[in-house]
Amino acid sequence: MSTIATSSGLEHELAAIVGDAHVAHEDREISGVAPALAVAPRSAEEVAAVLRLATARELVVAPAGGFTKQQTGGVPERVDLLLSTKRLNQIVHYDPGDLTVVLDAGVRLADAQSRMAEHQQWVPCDAPNLDVATVGGLLATASAGPLKSGFGGLREFCIGVQFVTADGKVAKGGGRVVKNVAGYDLMKLMIGSYGSLAVITQANFKVFPKPRQTRTFVCPFQSLEAALEFRNRVLQSPLAPLCLEIISPRAPEYLSNPPRVQDPEDYVPAQPVTAPSSEWQIVLRAAGSDNVLARYRRELGPEVARELEGAAEAQLWSWISHFADNVLARHQNAMVVQTHLTIQNVGAALRALERAATDHNFLPAVVGRAATGNLVLAFVPLAVDPPSAMQYASCVSAFRALLPAGSSAVVVRCPKEAKAHFDVWGSSPTDVEMMRTVKRALDPRNILNRGRFIV
Amino acid sequence: MDAAIIRQLRKIAGQDAVLDRPEELMLYEYDAGVDKGRPGAVVLPQNTDQVSRLMRLACENKIPVVPRGAGTGLSGGAIARQESIVLGFARMNKILEIDAANQRAVVQPGVVNLELSNATAKYGYYYAPDPSSQKACTIGGNVAENSGGPHTLALGVTVNHITGLRVVLPNGRIVELGGKALDGCGLDLTGFFVGSEGTLAVTTEITVKLTKLPESVATLLAIFNTVEDAANTVVAITQSGITPAAMEMLDGWMLRTVEAAVHAGYPLDAAAVLLIELEGIKEAVEEQAVAVEAVCLQQHGREVRRAKNEQERQLLWLGRKTAFGAIGRISSSYYTQDGVIPRTKIPATLAEIERISKAYDVIIGNVFHAGDGNLHPLIIFDGRDPVQFANSRKASKEIMQYVLSVGGSITGEHGVGMEKMNLMPLMFTEDDLDVMVRLRNSFNPDSILNPQKMLPETRTCREITGPLPKAKVEPVAGVPV
Repeated sequence: MSTIATSSGLEHELAAIVGDAHVAHEDREISGVAPALAVAPRSAEEVAAVLRLATARELVVAPAGGFTKQQTGGVPERVDLLLSTKRLNQIVHYDPGDLTVVLDAGVRLADAQSRMAEHQQWVPCDAPNLDVATVGGLLATASAGPLKSGFGGLREFCIGVQFVTADGKVAKGGGRVVKNVAGYDLMKLMIGSYGSLAVITQANFKVFPKPRQTRTFVCPFQSLEAALEFRNRVLQSPLAPLCLEIISPRAPEYLSNPPRVQDPEDYVPAQPVTAPSSEWQIVLRAAGSDNVLARYRRELGPEVARELEGAAEAQLWSWISHFADNVLARHQNAMVVQTHLTIQNVGAALRALERAATDHNFLPAVVGRAATGNLVLAFVPLAVDPPSAMQYASCVSAFRALLPAGSSAVVVRCPKEAKAHFDVWGSSPTDVEMMRTVKRALDPRNILNRGRFIV
Repeated sequence: MDAAIIRQLRKIAGQDAVLDRPEELMLYEYDAGVDKGRPGAVVLPQNTDQVSRLMRLACENKIPVVPRGAGTGLSGGAIARQESIVLGFARMNKILEIDAANQRAVVQPGVVNLELSNATAKYGYYYAPDPSSQKACTIGGNVAENSGGPHTLALGVTVNHITGLRVVLPNGRIVELGGKALDGCGLDLTGFFVGSEGTLAVTTEITVKLTKLPESVATLLAIFNTVEDAANTVVAITQSGITPAAMEMLDGWMLRTVEAAVHAGYPLDAAAVLLIELEGIKEAVEEQAVAVEAVCLQQHGREVRRAKNEQERQLLWLGRKTAFGAIGRISSSYYTQDGVIPRTKIPATLAEIERISKAYDVIIGNVFHAGDGNLHPLIIFDGRDPVQFANSRKASKEIMQYVLSVGGSITGEHGVGMEKMNLMPLMFTEDDLDVMVRLRNSFNPDSILNPQKMLPETRTCREITGPLPKAKVEPVAGVPV
């Protein structure tokens, strides 16, 4: 795409910072745009040196971790430099007694989790692909999974962050202690900023005791209304489940291991022989002693159809976390949308999905956090008469128009061709001009992820 | 302040909403901390539109503006520098909406923290962050300072409970950040603005999360013969896998002082007590209470008492929450710190404080949020005695140096404000502070809003001087801890 960064002069300059072996050509594309060069610094200081060079040369930089979320966002204008955090890979500090951990941005969260598991501790984040996704990437994309219901997102337990600004300053916010109000809360700015403000190089987390025993209760309902009424009952009860998910009638097809498909584009799902189930499910995960779990059984009553434990339980939660990946593994052209809703708007959003999807030749499937309004909506294109690129855009507009005020819906995955026709980010309840103010303060030349984020 | 400005302020906010007589302004020159500063005028706006017009007026005339809630802060955040206009939120004190089904409430900044919990109790909810000043402090002030409190150990501090803000920028623009949904697309500016100490914008409306009232609460008082045993117990409980709702420590000197003032029933001969609260469903609370008691006894606790009813529970907490007020009975002056340390460092830090206390011959009482490692050493001195005064300063400096040497923070919940501004370079590098200054300047370019707070004037790292721990003549009962 770009000719600027291919000059050998630049390669030499980068090699002088990070070493010859760590400047390479990059094959992986970002929404169809190939980065000209990839560079892998090994310290925050090297990241700073690379960014100073990028600023001087006006190179557009895309920070990259495990590459699990790179296809989210607008089509980049160009990518001159892919800045990989793979060599920032140390568990810098972990003291089980303090319940805090300091991780380099390139650490894969699963690696840190297995170290913490030795002490029956964890960072309660079950975002998908943790064996690949890095700490920096998870923060930048504000990733979460079903545990967000019980513990909140990364913003609730990231207690410190180190990053490098576009002009090459290594800076930090927060610290290593669990309570700290010294200075601005820069963690909040970095989390969910999609690499548009700075390159995250290290982060500190509050660590939690990991529950010793959990059970999962699966409760089926014949209608969405009945499922949401049950959810409200749980919310009003004294119970405090770790997870509280809603699963739509069509979603269970994707809560299983994906079939091995040679070419996902040719994959045609088996046409259902019977009418699809109309069953909605509420799935709860609870932690505690035998007595506590017995209380859950009493409170939930006859609505519980199945109780899961052990491997079967872990498997279900892994599938729920990987729902979007499973959909995309089977339908490369599926569209995935994440919502931010109030608790009581979940029903309205699900009805809006049903209508918008059906009107535009998609089949809807949903899993999501019924108690926080963070739903993962899959729009699966019909095998017969699949939607055009324009239809993706009109479907999203129709869906957003049907959402109650104050909601937001981000298209996290869709065919890259469709991105030309609409804004994947959509509207935000937060003033966008204020976001631009922050962007200008930290990346005035707009060299970080230009064109990909909301600002 | 200039008479023409006063006239314009009255035109915007109303005749009776502007105070400018010296005897009126005197009431606004202090907070619950050590600093003082008399404003040029106090304005009591009644709505967002007035705040916007006031900000425009101030901006055009380059007059600094300092937002203020109830004045219970401990770091000078709401104290005027120069000839400022203080924006008092006493008249913007309405709960606008309680939306129990969505677990949210929308409030004006002047709503008193405890009033919100009282108003939502009938729906089975409360507002979780509970600064010790919760009977007086306002939600607006809590948002500015990102306030904590004893019960933030399990549930988090203010920022974990705010989902939306309406703010007025220094140029008068009214802006929405977030709303009732837990989060939204784009940058989390709501989270960023919480704890910005009134240096970015003036908050005029706040959307808060409501938390379900717990079904069951157990309050335990664990009594120890040595401070070390109590400190080790904190570490042991933290490691046991139980997260109490609150875990507070009072040392022997504090206990006796508190007991003399409020008769909370604390043992007079103990070296330290832990006040531990467990919340949740009753099955879990019962099991945890048994487990916590076992840990306390294993760590050589002398006795573990459990409040038998709500009245006993309230009494135990009364002692804790009025600890600072109790000091007023015995000392004319005290100074408190708000450092935070990693929890495994509590035993060593308390031993160090004890050593410092002896070395400088000053009394240092300890009453603090042990579960978070958030210390509040209270340095007692007679402000009229220059030797004691100087020693208290030296002791204070040594404690803070120690806190930072073990990887701590200068403030856990009181904020930086005027008081700790010059300590910032001890925690943050020049580049860290440069990024913060850039951000402040982009929202508050002329520093019209709360000038000379939080970010140090000079950014070179220098010796801890900090502001002087000045004599505080009359501590007010119930001031926050």
